Amino acid sequence: MSAPLDRGAPENAARTSVDLHEPGVTAPASAAADESRAPAGPFEPAVPTAPADVEPDTAGAGTTGPGSTRPPAAPPAPRLAVLADGWQSIRFRTRLWVKRARIVGVRVARLVSIGASRLLPGIRYLLRSLHRKWRRSLQFRTVLTTLMLAIASFAVVGAYLSNQIANNLFQERLVQAESETRYNVKQIQDTFDGAQVTDQSSVITLVYDTLNAVEGRGSVIQRRYVFEAMPEQTKPRNRWVESRASDQLTISVIPTELRKAVQDSGKEQFWASTEFPVGTEDRPGIAVGNKVTFNGTVYELYLIYDLNTAQKTLDEIQNVLLAGGAVLALLIGAVAWYVTRNVVSPVSHAALVSEKLAAGQLQERMVVKGEDEVARLGASFNHMAASLQEQITQLATLSQMQQRFVSDVSHELRTPLTTVRMAAEVLYDARGDFDPVNKRSAELLYNQVERFQSLLADLLEISRFDAGVATLDAEPGDIVQLVSHVMEGVAPVAAEYGSEVTLNAPAGSIIVDMDDRRIDRILRNLVLNALEHGEGRPVNISVAANDNAVAVAVRDHGIGMTPAEAARVFDRFWRADPARARTTGGSGLGLSIAAEDTKLHNGWLQAWGRKGGGANFRLTLALRQGEKITKSPLQLEPVDVGLQGAGSDRTMLLLDHSPAPRTDNDTGTDAAGGSGAGTRDARAAGAGAGVPGTAETGTKDGS
Amino acid sequence: MKARILVVDDDEALAEMIGIVLRNDGFEPVFCADGGQALEVFRSAKPDLVLLDLMLPGIDGIEVCRQIRAESDVPIVMLTAKADTSDVVRGLESGADDYVPKPFKPAELVARVRARLRPGDQKAPETLRIADVTIDVAGHLVSRGTERISLTPLEFDLLVALARKPWQVFTRELLLEQVWGYRHAADTRLVNVHVQRLRSKIERDPEAPEVVLTVRGVGYKAGS
Repeated sequence: MSAPLDRGAPENAARTSVDLHEPGVTAPASAAADESRAPAGPFEPAVPTAPADVEPDTAGAGTTGPGSTRPPAAPPAPRLAVLADGWQSIRFRTRLWVKRARIVGVRVARLVSIGASRLLPGIRYLLRSLHRKWRRSLQFRTVLTTLMLAIASFAVVGAYLSNQIANNLFQERLVQAESETRYNVKQIQDTFDGAQVTDQSSVITLVYDTLNAVEGRGSVIQRRYVFEAMPEQTKPRNRWVESRASDQLTISVIPTELRKAVQDSGKEQFWASTEFPVGTEDRPGIAVGNKVTFNGTVYELYLIYDLNTAQKTLDEIQNVLLAGGAVLALLIGAVAWYVTRNVVSPVSHAALVSEKLAAGQLQERMVVKGEDEVARLGASFNHMAASLQEQITQLATLSQMQQRFVSDVSHELRTPLTTVRMAAEVLYDARGDFDPVNKRSAELLYNQVERFQSLLADLLEISRFDAGVATLDAEPGDIVQLVSHVMEGVAPVAAEYGSEVTLNAPAGSIIVDMDDRRIDRILRNLVLNALEHGEGRPVNISVAANDNAVAVAVRDHGIGMTPAEAARVFDRFWRADPARARTTGGSGLGLSIAAEDTKLHNGWLQAWGRKGGGANFRLTLALRQGEKITKSPLQLEPVDVGLQGAGSDRTMLLLDHSPAPRTDNDTGTDAAGGSGAGTRDARAAGAGAGVPGTAETGTKDGS
Repeated sequence: MKARILVVDDDEALAEMIGIVLRNDGFEPVFCADGGQALEVFRSAKPDLVLLDLMLPGIDGIEVCRQIRAESDVPIVMLTAKADTSDVVRGLESGADDYVPKPFKPAELVARVRARLRPGDQKAPETLRIADVTIDVAGHLVSRGTERISLTPLEFDLLVALARKPWQVFTRELLLEQVWGYRHAADTRLVNVHVQRLRSKIERDPEAPEVVLTVRGVGYKAGS
């Protein structure tokens, strides 16, 4: 906001507004009028680097009314002209500002682009972090906004103040200049009038001395003058003085408009802002013009008053304003920071604590100080946290107790069950010696003890998953060999159902990191399930691998499933048709255990089914533990069905690993929790089958 | 001669039932219901095999197993209600040769007992070498240089099985069949634990085995 001298483009000269001041005008009136009409003084702030030129602008565009010594009729025309001049001045000023702004803009843009090319990454990082800060920190946002608003207010107030001061300074000087001029012109005229016109040299001496006296005594020049004979008048013979001016000055420093006004008027006094050279610099000044007559010749006499001191004062005041404004803005920023910190820090503390609470650190509490709103917030927050903690702990204890109970019961049951089983078997082995009733009883006992035992084993397994004690014991192994092994194992069952089990696998081995005991159990469960629901039709097992995953799909062509059924197929004790008799005596936990085993491997276990079209279960495992499966090597929807295409009742259940730690004992949540990865795969599977977008993602409520 | 079998189990009904089954199959059972007395009974009865329940009042099965193993190479088969890997491995590491998870079938129990009581093969005088380890098959001796290495019969059998066919990679199933005598794969963890135990005795650095090598994804083979 430094405001050096008003400088403008060369064309300003043409815009000089000229003020008409009549000799007798009272200064205060003039000043007041000037102030009201043209608030912008001549000391406008300007860009220091802008091209230097004169802006001989007048702040006091206003004219005074007719002076006391003048008839009022005289100056209406000048007043209008001055009004127009005021407008022109404003327009001109606007243009000037636009121009300056453009220059500054170009420079700043250039600087920014140079800086940006060098510091671009750093700046980008800075901007991004600032933006992040802006978004994430209420305090930062508040402080910054306050600071911006404060700076803007200071800018407005500062501009207004500096403008007012400039105006006042100028007006003061102008009034002084006008009265001094009036006095000096009178003095000169008196001297001239009383002069004896004798010879040339004495006349010249007289004129020069008189004029020099105007400059004032002492080392400081109080005012400068330009003395010029009016053009276009008959030149008397004895006119020896044509023009005279103070050092370095010529008539060209006087704005043409001023000269014109002086020339055209009678004996009125006019003024204009101008700029004149002193030494090597140009200084702002006020030129006040009038006419004097000497020896029958009319001369224009302009007295030029230096505004340099006023400009310096103004500069200083502006500097002080600027510095004061900056300090005040900083102080306001600091105050805003302090105040918002007081308000925001408890809030951010609460946010931090609730984040920790949400992350499971239930013992976290807020610090409560005092009795204000923040303290109330803290107290009620802590109350909430405490009751939450209590409930969660209670639930966790209950759940733990329940799991522990199931586990203990299962274990305790095992020893007597072993005895019962051995006894049953001994009886069963000896059934040949029994009568028919006892024989049948022994058989029933034997079979049901078997069933009871498998149920117990499955329950124990599930309770182990629920208790979270199941661990993965993964080692590299050949999954093709494992599949063959499973097929051998189920061969007797397959023969019983009359189903043919076929294998479609690549030659050689596929080495996978797996817990073979669990994978064996998953596959056996899948195959037994397929046989049970396969209605004697063939069961196809496919094995395939890609870069990072291997898949085993078990396809049957039996009764199939509806979407709703497919969604529940991994539920515990769930059966598609409760009325349907159990034929294999399975526990109803087989597929749930398979799902848990898969989850332990971070694998995918998914089911597809169509009513009457059979079902397809697909197990996908990462080749190496810890790797992420991106795509299963086999499609979930079997190719044979996909080619038929039309199936609107197509469905599948996606049961994937969910990375969240298990918190409940419902396997059902897995289906829902893992649907993110599954959906991606579902799309791939759907597209692979040539029916994009038809695959339905069957998930179910976690409740 | 009837093989004598010590049954250490605190559940009287189960112990009696096991006794019935064993007697049916021509064994002579001896009973002990308390872990604290197991070692005394073992010393006085001199059984050919021990059936040991893992959970016992007094001293638990793991400790009993360790005590017996400290003074005898007699085969020990664990009976366990917990089939968790950690329990099984702990049992095997304390010196048991095999384990049977409850509930088991009588036939299964008898098969395991018979497998462990298998009369030692009539071993021809034969000397095998794996890496820098020498095995005297007939003399049941294993040594590295002049240093004797003491192995249980099961570990010895495992080492001999590997050493006889140094060119062959043994899957765990194959080892179960050849060393333990199970036709249908029981639990391959048996093999893992015993290989580890064997390694801890015969390898210079069990972390970088030279005698028993792992073939990733397949099984084990003898070092050259």
